[in-house]
Amino acid sequence: MANQQATIAVAAPRPLISRHTREILANYAYLLPAAICLGGTVLFPILKAMHMSLYHHVLIRPQDYRFIGLGNYVRMVQDPTFWLTLKNSFIWVFWSVSLQFFFGFLMALLLNGQFKGRAIFRTINLLPWIIPGVVVALIWEYIYQPNYGPLNDLLRRVGWMREPVAWLSDPGLAMPAVVLTNIWRGIPFFAIMILAGLQAIPDEIYEAATVDGAGVIQRFWSVTLPMLRPIIVVATATRIIWTFNYADLIFVMTSGGPANATQITSTYTLLQAYSDLDFGYAATLSVILLVIMLVFTALYLKLTKGVESVAG
Amino acid sequence: MVIKDDAYYASRRQFLRTLAATGAIAAADLAWWEEPFLGPRRAHAAATTVRFQFSVPEPLRTSLVESLVERFNKSQKDIEVKVEFVPQAQARQKLITAVTAGNPPDCCQIWDNWLGEFDGMGAVEDLTGRAKEWKYYKDTLPIAWETVTFKGRILSFPWVVTNDAIYVRADRAKEYGIALPKDDWTWEDFLKTARAFTKADKNQYGFGMRGQGTWAVLYATEFMYGNGAQVLKDGKVAINSKEAVDGLDWYLDLFRKHKVTPPSVPTDGWRQIVEGFGRGVTNMYLHNSGSSEEQKKFVGAPSFVTVPIPLGPAKKRATFYFSETLTMFKASKNKDATWKFLTFLMDDDQHAHYAKTLGLLPARKSIADRPEFAKDPALAGFIKSFPFSIVSPYLAYAGWGGKLDSEGVPLFQQAMVGKLTAKECLDKFADVLTKNMM
Amino acid sequence: MKTRGLGDPLERFLGGPVLWTGLVLATLFALGPFFWVFLASVKTRVELYATPITYIPVHPTFQNYVDAWTSRLTPFSRFFANSLWVSSVTMVATIVISTLAGYALARFRFVGKNTLMLVFLATQMFPAVLLIAPLLSQWHALGLIDTYQALIYSNFSFTVPFTVWMLVGYFESIPRELEESAMIDGSGRFGALLRIIVPLAAPGIAATAIFAFVSSWSELLFAVTFTSQTEMRTLSAGLLYMVGQYEIQWGQLGAGVMISTIPVAILFTFLQKHLIRGLTAGALKG
Repeated sequence: MANQQATIAVAAPRPLISRHTREILANYAYLLPAAICLGGTVLFPILKAMHMSLYHHVLIRPQDYRFIGLGNYVRMVQDPTFWLTLKNSFIWVFWSVSLQFFFGFLMALLLNGQFKGRAIFRTINLLPWIIPGVVVALIWEYIYQPNYGPLNDLLRRVGWMREPVAWLSDPGLAMPAVVLTNIWRGIPFFAIMILAGLQAIPDEIYEAATVDGAGVIQRFWSVTLPMLRPIIVVATATRIIWTFNYADLIFVMTSGGPANATQITSTYTLLQAYSDLDFGYAATLSVILLVIMLVFTALYLKLTKGVESVAG
Repeated sequence: MVIKDDAYYASRRQFLRTLAATGAIAAADLAWWEEPFLGPRRAHAAATTVRFQFSVPEPLRTSLVESLVERFNKSQKDIEVKVEFVPQAQARQKLITAVTAGNPPDCCQIWDNWLGEFDGMGAVEDLTGRAKEWKYYKDTLPIAWETVTFKGRILSFPWVVTNDAIYVRADRAKEYGIALPKDDWTWEDFLKTARAFTKADKNQYGFGMRGQGTWAVLYATEFMYGNGAQVLKDGKVAINSKEAVDGLDWYLDLFRKHKVTPPSVPTDGWRQIVEGFGRGVTNMYLHNSGSSEEQKKFVGAPSFVTVPIPLGPAKKRATFYFSETLTMFKASKNKDATWKFLTFLMDDDQHAHYAKTLGLLPARKSIADRPEFAKDPALAGFIKSFPFSIVSPYLAYAGWGGKLDSEGVPLFQQAMVGKLTAKECLDKFADVLTKNMM
Repeated sequence: MKTRGLGDPLERFLGGPVLWTGLVLATLFALGPFFWVFLASVKTRVELYATPITYIPVHPTFQNYVDAWTSRLTPFSRFFANSLWVSSVTMVATIVISTLAGYALARFRFVGKNTLMLVFLATQMFPAVLLIAPLLSQWHALGLIDTYQALIYSNFSFTVPFTVWMLVGYFESIPRELEESAMIDGSGRFGALLRIIVPLAAPGIAATAIFAFVSSWSELLFAVTFTSQTEMRTLSAGLLYMVGQYEIQWGQLGAGVMISTIPVAILFTFLQKHLIRGLTAGALKG
């Protein structure tokens, strides 16, 4: 034994970098392309924004440009509109994601069944996802138009409405209206993800459960849901993050109005950056959004043990 | 990038013919429009490139600008202008981004209320010297120069100017037996007319009020001036004076109390008020002359007239001028070439065609006096409003531009829906203005 | 679910009337606005502005489609080609990049792997608004304005993180023994990846490919900001040009929406089998 080992060891010269190190380097090399991509497109701007948030940086006052440390953050804490937008953001995210999830789940269950024309139904239900967000906003803005939009027109024709309701102009109705549009757009995402999960559950498990005497509801509860848990966690986590940051829909439909009824933090950031031209403050808001979501995601994943199952 | 071959020219001419057929451009003028697209393109050896950004890309405007640019390119061979169209909604954002990135176009068509901001960013080229030596300097309306002058520096070319007036459905007035407004009508007359025009069962409303966007605040202010209010008085912000509050109360009551406006008012922007009138949902609305051509298409020229804004209780009234300007950016590397192009656009033919096609008034007096402008009934209300039109008082400070949008509009919207009283709204608004006087 | 017996009456009820009612309602809801857009795309201008609102056009026309496709002002044929190119390249490049990264994260031991994964996700937590200005100056400095490259690289900012997450899960569900035996047989780690793992993971990779393609296809903000010339515009940006100052040209916008949606829908119909089976094992421990 020792002879064999000695023979092998002597033949190769001693390398400059140990095999172990080379292996580690090779491992990191796999990550390199992705790291470059993200570094070049996202990480650098994020760092730049963090830097910008510490400065008073209003585009039309370049002579006032100066370091103010946490000044922007103090301003943010004292800004009542900011807290309002935060509250609106939570409402927006909570209702959008939970209902997208709920209906997407139902949709997935429906599309999972065996029936003719399943492929067509699946495709049709994917369509809302394909249109760019801005166009979705324009279409739905038209639909909600109180005096010449189809929604009110149809409601009046069937007699369910007498006075035209201004869906997007009423502070109480504006948020539900945009949430509905967001739900319309977001259902396909969950439908596809969950449908995929449903398809992967092996039939044997269901058969075993049936043999054990479990009915439909029982099977759903103890087989389907647990097996879908990882998907549900990943899907909802990513969706929550996207929805939090999603400014296009609201911006086009209501511009955050009326009277800030639909102003969420990401649209407020847009406003600060491009209307007020206060890039320092806009950067501050972005950083806070980032922090909030990081904290949320870490907690969420820990709570649902999501990361462990998926990324093992 | 752009290879303008024969096919391109042929299709341009085709498109122009279609526009003429639909009446969008006068058939008699077709030859003028087509002229640049006849014949092959001359090869340009070492042409300087000038980037021109234009941000209202509707088919009519796009054709117009392309025709103008082509004429310029063909008229000489040293400069080649490349026009970049940007969607209306993205134009300002894109310009700001480009300026901060150090990559703005050489020149751009922008509205005068953006000028202050871009000047504050140090992005705009000071044209005072060049403008004063320009051959048509004196021919341009002084008020037009006023809209583009900041702290004594001329920052831009005023291309077309307009003010605001009230569009009225004359045909419906006749149908309902309503008297057409006289030039010196009052607020009482206005309310009476609006009431008569409001027919809920026919889905019609008297007045298309605007609740969204910077001009929502400006229109409200124009009415408030009728009650003797002023934005600035003796250098101090006076928008929350008693006259202003009472004026705003009357204005908002159109929506809140009398309900002569559609329910969508709080979020109606320019597109909605123009469309509302065009579809016959509203029978009056306040706007500048830029939508007059649209309305000719929508409801037909004989169906509407324009009248000046009504006189308020203080026997006063005001509307605000604003202009579409041609602006050069400091970062441009081809300033002389750009200047040549800009002056070309301000020359007789081009200037007249641009203004006429879009229903706007040329900034140059000699052209504005031409019969096609002075005698157009759709423009009558605007021309009659010139005597009492002023430069928008909100242009006084560069810091106000963005604040109108981000803080002014929500305040007025809150007042509209009843969350704030008119007094509270104006007090807070005055606060915002005072804090941002820079 | 595929071969369940329908003995249980509740099951039959759920599988029958409930299924169909639900399906019809859901499809109507998803399809409704689309149908409205389609109707708008075949109406003439006069009918679009008629009051009271008309639904079914009296004189339907396909002129809007012809105008959109052939117009030199807004050449949808060109926009289509641009979108196709940008989305396809984004898709392919994303897959390559994410497969490498996903495989590494699934198989190798990294210090703070969970943190790394969280960092990938964290890049999504930043509003696009503030990415625009730095990216624009970056692309401008590199001379990439009005190129396909700027769009493709910018698209990576949202395609790569999600696909990495999904592929990590998917790779983890493939047993390690497979490539280990291949490596013992003499092939390197990378070879094993290519020859053994990738074919097995083909459905999952297809799934994330579709995601990358569809996301790039509907991406708008970058397209508008980083390109100025008409020739370089994508479909999404092209649609926005229908939104004028005082009116939206619904006829042409509708046609544009149809033109940009139908092909992707067809693509999906064919690939949906792979898509479903693919996305699945990504997150399950099968």
